[in-house]
Amino acid sequence: MDFTIRAATLEDCKDISRMILELAEHEKVSDQIKITQRDLEQDGFSKNPFFHGIIAEVPEHLKSRDGHTKVGYSLYFYTYSSWKGRAVYMEDLYVMPEFRGKGIGKALMAKVSQLGLAAGCNQLNFTVLNWNKSSLDFYRKQGCWDVTSELGYHCMRCEGDALEHLAQGDL
Amino acid sequence: MRFTICAAKPEDCKDIERMIMELAVYEKMPDQVKITHKELERDGFGPNPFYQCLVAEVPEELMSKDGHTKVGYALFFYTYSTWKGRTVYMEDLYVMPEYRGKGIGKALMATVAKVAKEQHCVRLQFSVLDWNKPSLDFYLAKGAEDLTAKEGWHFLRFHGIALDNLAQEAP
Repeated sequence: MDFTIRAATLEDCKDISRMILELAEHEKVSDQIKITQRDLEQDGFSKNPFFHGIIAEVPEHLKSRDGHTKVGYSLYFYTYSSWKGRAVYMEDLYVMPEFRGKGIGKALMAKVSQLGLAAGCNQLNFTVLNWNKSSLDFYRKQGCWDVTSELGYHCMRCEGDALEHLAQGDL
Repeated sequence: MRFTICAAKPEDCKDIERMIMELAVYEKMPDQVKITHKELERDGFGPNPFYQCLVAEVPEELMSKDGHTKVGYALFFYTYSTWKGRTVYMEDLYVMPEYRGKGIGKALMATVAKVAKEQHCVRLQFSVLDWNKPSLDFYLAKGAEDLTAKEGWHFLRFHGIALDNLAQEAP
């Protein structure tokens, strides 16, 4: 299939916002989305962006049933391993269902890797839900390994009241 | 016990390197540490730092058996959730064994949370090894949730040859 992979621009935030919601629906958590198109614009395209985006686009004659030409995205940012140094974290990787199986997901992920390596990173990290077999299979096929299963690392989070109390030194 | 928590300076990197190794020994993976104080200086103190770091210091009269006054650190960076927005990831939290149980770990973590809130972050995330019961208990007592246990999130990673191969497929 004919597609291009390019850096996201401010104008892409509307489509990224749409696709974030589609991905959340696939992960069965669409009620959890608090982010808006405006948040993406402010946080991704200001002086010190919190993230970077890549868009997969098809030509007009291949547009989706709903008329979209922006059919996939990856959102990533730079992180740090105190053992290995610079790393890149891929927060989202998504391709609209009707465009899957055509190499777009792999091309997006490959682009993140290429940009990460160019920035001096030696790891590409991300998370997957353990029931998401199709994604797990896709990633394993590309040569990644499961740090949680193999080393026992658990993802932990503080938010809401717990984060408030922690910041105030209450607990 | 008297101690201060301050933002790390480039000259702290030798102590941070020392404590990174101590933490890796505790996590039973010292052979995994490749970083040196040179990378820490380059990556933490330029115009676009990859990480932020806090250092806990005690006065001279309370120095460690080996003569150190820098006795703990927290290394963190800004990340992004496409569901909720700005977040902070705490890569390392460490206090030297002879200084534990005196509120230093809690003060370090609370300061990270405070900085996170000042930057309008809504989540503080980190990872813990599943066998590390003292740390798991410490975090759960502060209101952290174990997302791996609760929701099934796994960390996945590309590195080495697998990362190189993936990057070569980028369009």
